[in-house]
Amino acid sequence: MLKSISSYLVLVVFFVLINGCKQKPVETDSKTETEEELVQRALEIHKRVLTLDTHADTPLRMIEPGFDMAERHDPKETGSKVDYPRMKEGDLDAIFFAAFVAQDIRDDDGNTRAKALCHQMLDSVITSTERNADIVGLAVNPDDAYELEKEGKRAIFIGIENGYPIGNDLSNIEEYYNKGVRYITLVHSSNNDIADSATDEKGAEHGGISEFGAKVVGEMNRLGIMVDVSHGNDSVFYDAVKLSKAPIIASHSNARAVTEHQRNMTDEMLKLMSENGGVVQLTMLADYLRTAPPNAARDSAMAAIRAGMTKPISELTDEERSALRKSFTELNEKYPNPPATVQHVADHIDHITKVAGIDHVGIGCDFDGGGGIEGVFDASEVMNITIELVRRGYTEEEIAKIWGGNLIRVFKEVQLVAEQLQS
Amino acid sequence: MHPLRLSLCEIDYTEQKELLTINLKLFLTDVNEAILFDPNSTELAFCRPNEAANANRLLMEYVNRFFFVKANNERVNLKIKSKRLSGKGENTALWIYFECKQSDPIRSLEIKNAIFTDLFFDQNNIVYLDIDGINKSLMLNKRTQIYELIF
Repeated sequence: MLKSISSYLVLVVFFVLINGCKQKPVETDSKTETEEELVQRALEIHKRVLTLDTHADTPLRMIEPGFDMAERHDPKETGSKVDYPRMKEGDLDAIFFAAFVAQDIRDDDGNTRAKALCHQMLDSVITSTERNADIVGLAVNPDDAYELEKEGKRAIFIGIENGYPIGNDLSNIEEYYNKGVRYITLVHSSNNDIADSATDEKGAEHGGISEFGAKVVGEMNRLGIMVDVSHGNDSVFYDAVKLSKAPIIASHSNARAVTEHQRNMTDEMLKLMSENGGVVQLTMLADYLRTAPPNAARDSAMAAIRAGMTKPISELTDEERSALRKSFTELNEKYPNPPATVQHVADHIDHITKVAGIDHVGIGCDFDGGGGIEGVFDASEVMNITIELVRRGYTEEEIAKIWGGNLIRVFKEVQLVAEQLQS
Repeated sequence: MHPLRLSLCEIDYTEQKELLTINLKLFLTDVNEAILFDPNSTELAFCRPNEAANANRLLMEYVNRFFFVKANNERVNLKIKSKRLSGKGENTALWIYFECKQSDPIRSLEIKNAIFTDLFFDQNNIVYLDIDGINKSLMLNKRTQIYELIF
């Protein structure tokens, strides 16, 4: 898969030279198009449209001592998926950096800690944009994305993943808004005081959005902050549709009919999202994109190692433990789970487009939060999504909607509702 | 479970109480993978009535390899004060609580937190610090394992 536009062009030339005559022609309206021409056309579209990724947990990276967004990082070595050089390589014009605060104890101490961490991450994003003002800019309004693109700069929007740092004080929401926050994901992997999580094994606590959560939604509407239902259980989605006076978003969720996962959205929800005028942003989390089949070969190989052990693992020496770890690592490398690919991404986009319509789908990769698949492993590879969409016949107008137009439309409507509520 | 590999660590110090407390919150599946090479093992039965006699020893052997706190350049002797479980299923967390007498005011604090970086290249370990009212959060990982604060 491609690593960057520049390296791709080198590959294209190489490919044409040695394999050009073997390419399968692709029929278009005007002429027969080779694979290389299709890719070139896709890259040009990718460059022309606003490319906006609505979800990256990069602010967590920004509180790593010494981490510099202006440096290029190796994702395989560091785990980092986004920095400014790689956004440029992937021609990713805009991104929402989400300040992610993991759910912890729901008391005053926990809330205070969560708020402090949230502010620290928000400040880190702001500082980073100020330090790199020649290549990026802090964006707080929808049109900022286009303005910054014209200036040749990446637009950095801010969100918050998990409403936990709101604590039980509604005034915190305006504090976050004033720092540039333009969406808040109501809940994360465990229930909080605002809403129920899709993945809390204790089950529902509020039956969707709590009474306090309803006030949170109202305050977000008043300020012009998008209500994000990703990570919420199904009832949270239905409650949000009823409660919110503005269209809602799912900043990183997929289609459940394509991949059965409680984090994904049912067709009924997709249709309702369409009626709501909101948008579902496709995410690059492997488990939400495809169901991995059982890995029998790896499991039996591991079982064989365990069966051959002469003493319990808890009695191994450090050297023996290291050797065992190495064996297991080698087995995982020898028998990897089949990867999620950009084809899976496009399958979900196809489905959501069919069920909800082209105006209600977008992209939120969840880089630095577990997102990253074969072919779209980090920000430098996002053009591969566009290539696959072009291959499947999506027009430039449709791709522009998917890559940012739809989200910007919702963002504008949310701001309009806020103006009406404040007037 | 969120595919983000994460652990939390809370370090608090109050000069008046002469007390340094450390709270580690680790996913239980990660603990079992690290110690027993099996995320779903129930062999050590942490915090259960049938907790294995060697559970704390094995836990601390692992923790001490990847985690330390040095106050005024002296490594804090970590002894488990208490443990508890929270959450359910894959979200089950093991909390490990340490309490250490710290008579001298803290002038410097060095923290290493490389827990689970031997298992996952993208492990993120968030550290919350509250040192006599000075609050700071940081993220340590495989690349940046150690951080020192001077007061």
